[in-house]
Amino acid sequence: MSSVLVVLIFAPFAVGIATFFLPVRFSKVVTTVSGASSFVLALVLIPAVTSRSHVAAGSLLRVDALSAVFLTATTFLYGATAVFANGYLDLAKGAAGVRYGRRFYAGLNIFCWSMIAATLVNGLALLWVAIEITTVVSALLVAIDDTDGATEASWKYVLIASLGLGIALFATVIMYYAGTTVFGAAYDLSYTKLLAGAGRFPPDVVRLAFVLAVLGFGTKMGLVPVHTWLPDAHSEAPTPVSALLSGALLAVSFYAILRYFQIAVRTLGPTFPRNVLLIFGIASLLLAALYVLSQRDLKRLLAYSSVEHMGILAIGMSLGAPIAVVGVLLHVLAHAAAKGTAFFGAGSVVRKFGTKDMTKIRGAFSALPWSGPMMVASVLALSAMPPFGLFRSEFLIVLGGLSGPRGVVAVLLVVLVTLAFFGVSWSTTQMMFTQDAQVGSSDNPGSANPAKGEVSTSIVVAMALGLVALVVLGVHPPSQLNHLLNDAARELGSRR
Amino acid sequence: MHSAPTTYAGVADVIAVLVLLTEFAMLRAPLLRSQVRLYMFQSLVVTALAVVVAATRHIDELYVLALLSFALKVVLVPNLVLRLLRDADVDLAGSSVLGVASMTLIAIGVSAFGFFAVGSLHVHSTALPTTALAVAAAVVLVAFVLIILRSDVVSQAIGFFSLENGISVASLVVAAGMPVVVEVAFLFDLLVAVVVFGVIMRVHHGRTKTLSTDELDRLKG
Amino acid sequence: MLGHSVMAPEGVQALQVLTVMLGAPLVSGAISHVEGRLQGRRGPRILQPYYDIAKLFRKETVVTEESSWVFLIGPVIAFGCYLIVPLLIPVLTTYGLPLGYMGDILGGGFVLALGGFAVAIAGTDSGAPYAQLGSSRAMTFGALIEPTILFVVFAVAIITSTDLPYALAATVRSSSAEMVGPSHVLAAAAFFLVVLADTGRIPVETHSGTLEFGMIDEARTLEHSGPPLALLTWGAAMKQLILYTILINVFVAPWGLAASGNPAAVALAVPSLLGKAVALGLVFAVIDNLFSKLRLFKITEFIAAAFLLAVLAVFLFFAGGG
Repeated sequence: MSSVLVVLIFAPFAVGIATFFLPVRFSKVVTTVSGASSFVLALVLIPAVTSRSHVAAGSLLRVDALSAVFLTATTFLYGATAVFANGYLDLAKGAAGVRYGRRFYAGLNIFCWSMIAATLVNGLALLWVAIEITTVVSALLVAIDDTDGATEASWKYVLIASLGLGIALFATVIMYYAGTTVFGAAYDLSYTKLLAGAGRFPPDVVRLAFVLAVLGFGTKMGLVPVHTWLPDAHSEAPTPVSALLSGALLAVSFYAILRYFQIAVRTLGPTFPRNVLLIFGIASLLLAALYVLSQRDLKRLLAYSSVEHMGILAIGMSLGAPIAVVGVLLHVLAHAAAKGTAFFGAGSVVRKFGTKDMTKIRGAFSALPWSGPMMVASVLALSAMPPFGLFRSEFLIVLGGLSGPRGVVAVLLVVLVTLAFFGVSWSTTQMMFTQDAQVGSSDNPGSANPAKGEVSTSIVVAMALGLVALVVLGVHPPSQLNHLLNDAARELGSRR
Repeated sequence: MHSAPTTYAGVADVIAVLVLLTEFAMLRAPLLRSQVRLYMFQSLVVTALAVVVAATRHIDELYVLALLSFALKVVLVPNLVLRLLRDADVDLAGSSVLGVASMTLIAIGVSAFGFFAVGSLHVHSTALPTTALAVAAAVVLVAFVLIILRSDVVSQAIGFFSLENGISVASLVVAAGMPVVVEVAFLFDLLVAVVVFGVIMRVHHGRTKTLSTDELDRLKG
Repeated sequence: MLGHSVMAPEGVQALQVLTVMLGAPLVSGAISHVEGRLQGRRGPRILQPYYDIAKLFRKETVVTEESSWVFLIGPVIAFGCYLIVPLLIPVLTTYGLPLGYMGDILGGGFVLALGGFAVAIAGTDSGAPYAQLGSSRAMTFGALIEPTILFVVFAVAIITSTDLPYALAATVRSSSAEMVGPSHVLAAAAFFLVVLADTGRIPVETHSGTLEFGMIDEARTLEHSGPPLALLTWGAAMKQLILYTILINVFVAPWGLAASGNPAAVALAVPSLLGKAVALGLVFAVIDNLFSKLRLFKITEFIAAAFLLAVLAVFLFFAGGG
């Protein structure tokens, strides 16, 4: 099984390098194959992880149940985005288009590789390195369109995220220090070692490291108030990149926080780490729910929805009940699928109407016979409607909350999620179902009602993949997956 | 409360303080080029500190690290940014949000916070006196002030790089024994970040013909 | 023979005052001489300040029509203040002298400030615009630099747990670790900048030549002449030497002082002090040549830098650095 890890850590990177030199039509195929096979390999790992608690290759690579969850989410989105990008990319003729295609595919693969690496590496230091690489690669991808907006967004993104990671690096160094009190001056920051010694770490130091880690990685995860780069980057990036940013990157950053959470819980007991996450979670959910109500830009709307869901994840962890933790991990998977699908749909709409401004998009439901309805379905999924996966996960979180001492929080969660639901569904309903007489008139010629028909079948396929995954997660998650989620929840220390 | 410090502790602390003072100097540097030179100097000081620790505490890996960080942070990174500045042909930084005296006062405030927050941790280190850790925390916080209050891409980028210098000092204090592989990975990462910062700075300058961030106000809400 | 006799402490104390009074013009002259050399001139004779002062005493006093008795008494008060301060600080000895405990380091600072105030008020009383401008500027920047001085004093006080200059000098001498401690280094650096500002050197002020718009300290005495001007010039030289003495004997290099009342040791301490002061003066002369004067309203940045150093000195002490 360890060979699977080795393949996963090398193959996407090699593909990334190769696509920089290959013609775009080969890159499309290679990237899709790479994404799909990564996902398959991740699925192969699940039974191995659940039966043997972890799979390791050397001392540097190690997958346990927790990382397997995030690996699955990332690789799924890798494959689905590769399919989507094949249909979405509309390359200019000539050298400029070729250059764009090469950069795009190389960036996409390396971006996915860095996220996969973040879930595979064994140790806080390497985890930080991998996440920093995700930042720099994705910043370049955000800037790739070379518009004023993209430049501004990428600058804000690279600066703010780097600052966050600067804090996270500080957290890493402090955590290293906490370890030296037990292991002596020189040791590797591997999870197994840290978790084994965590009970004897100095509490004050671990407390500082945990807060810094939440603040630092929280910047990349999009927790309020350090989320400010997120809507800009999500809205200005090419849509496949937005999907990856939202569905996978935020989750991977959350994964990093969970690794610190694991240690902090063992050193400090559960109360302090949970309270920290609760504060950030409530702030994120509240602010995002309010911003969602007033958005005009389709991709910004989805970006704020991501902030909202990250808030739900943080709150879910803070509730502490094992069932809520299982819900959080399921939420990671379901959010990846749902947000991916929604961004794919947004990409389809944007390509069709030539604008991201939702007040100018009307009648998308009928204009896009397949992706329109699927977009609506994905929005419903994001709003935690049955039968989709997010319904199940939020249900578990709320259930866990109501059963524990923090019932109020669960109630608040339900209220805010409902608020966000109104925001998202109001805008999208307008955009999807209204046939506006104003549209197509002379004052906004760019949004003439386009002819009925799909932009690309690849987009439809990618969205269908996402919806299938959502339904599977919502109706009947495979037993192996349930097993995995339970194991991961146990690793998070809530069932010790 | 005044335990007799050793000469080594004193020298190490003074070197760490020099890093902090350089950070303060960056707050006021009006020329973009002098900003980069200050970073160069700061990196040199950090490298010197690493050598001092390596020599007195006999941690041989730190020599390797010092060498690498010299090559990277004193030679390579500043020269990359200087080349960008030459190409961009911009000398003066735009006016910052606040005057120098107010910026200094704010920075003094945040560094006080850093000092006392870290001081309350009671960290013990065999490599360096813990004062250096407090200074490192102050460097990180002042770097934040720099990034927030200066409105040009060069100062902001330099602010990030110098933040990393502050963390380097911190890691010399509390994690001097950190495996060299890890440290090298950190440095390599910095290099990648520098390249990306450079690329985006170049793109920004190409689009707006300025290095100021005042133009970057379109995306909000 | 001499080694067995001991000088009375009062005698040593009087000698401290005399050293400062008579040595100050020498130090000023030496600095001017070197400065001239650095600028490619031959420079004035080292003893030139003595000749200047003597000549001024022989000249008649001219008084502006608007001025009152304050104009004439100011220089005398200032001179008196500069005679008192050497009683309080370690000029020649490592041990405290009887009147040395009359005032602490703050007291010394107050007396110095009183001297500055007397000069300023005399300048204001002249009724002449440049002298008034100089006085008001000197007071403004004096007020701005005051917090820095206070923080330097705080730093000194918490390091030594007393605020007596002798005690700090003793602490510094006690070990090399104290010498290189960050609090001490920073406080010394801050005080260095204070001295730079208080003696009217670049980058705060050009001390030679008449550049009216940038003048601060120099402008205050423009209207004085004859013996009052002699007292002012002499007083300025003494103030400079006093500040140098504090910087040297309290912060930077408290060596070469007499440890007892042994006349030979005391006699040696005099040239050693003057030698160190001249050496320090050379540093200032070099700085004068390396930097250019700051614009008047940029001086706040200079003061902010000094303040920063002093504040960090205090912080660092509490953070455990000593």
